Amino acid sequence: MLQKLILLGIAGALGTISRYGLAGLVQKVTGAQFPWGTLIVNLTGCFLAGFLWASSLHRLQLTGEARIIILVGFMGAFTTFSTYMLETGELMRNAEWVHAFWNLFLHSSIGLIALFTGIAIGRHL
Amino acid sequence: MKLPSRAQLLRIFLNERSKHKGRPLYEVIVEAAQQHGLAGATVLRGLLGYGGKSGRIRTMKILRLSENMPMVVEIVDDSAKIDSFLPLLDDLIEEGMVTVQETNVITYRVDNHAQR
Repeated sequence: MLQKLILLGIAGALGTISRYGLAGLVQKVTGAQFPWGTLIVNLTGCFLAGFLWASSLHRLQLTGEARIIILVGFMGAFTTFSTYMLETGELMRNAEWVHAFWNLFLHSSIGLIALFTGIAIGRHL
Repeated sequence: MKLPSRAQLLRIFLNERSKHKGRPLYEVIVEAAQQHGLAGATVLRGLLGYGGKSGRIRTMKILRLSENMPMVVEIVDDSAKIDSFLPLLDDLIEEGMVTVQETNVITYRVDNHAQR
């Protein structure tokens, strides 16, 4: 149990650092108009979650524990719902309704597409 | 305390991370202004801005870009007091901008019965 918690913590730390790095890089390139960093991180996370989930069930020899450490530990820290909501809320507070709508829409729609794409690739790779 | 009708507006442009001996610089400046006997000081947090070395835009709208937001300290007082405070500021500020402009004080009322 303790080993699992430690591994979860390490995976979480790696996920957080990866998110910080990727979101920062994307935001540096795209500017300050729209929260592209969080969107890209979350869409990447959806794809990876689908891919890893499908791979672990159909291809990779992963234990249930390893699956939890990767999906809950790393992926849980890599993606972020709270930042997505915070940024959408800020867009709404600034009356940037169109940007807020697109943030909500792109996360939900492309997120699902990314997830199912990941699943499809994970099953057949 | 009475402010003259012709006074000076001192503005100090900093950012959140500016520190003086480990303490937020804006706090140190406000305390220094109070100890120096200036009429008052107000700290404002910017919602959006850029400047300094990096030139990158900081905005509260995007979490990843909301580190190190701009801050402004504003102080209004007569020119003699502002002038005497400037050398002290020079010792405190390693990065930032200080501006002084003439201003008209239209109203300055203090509630003498307000509790401290």
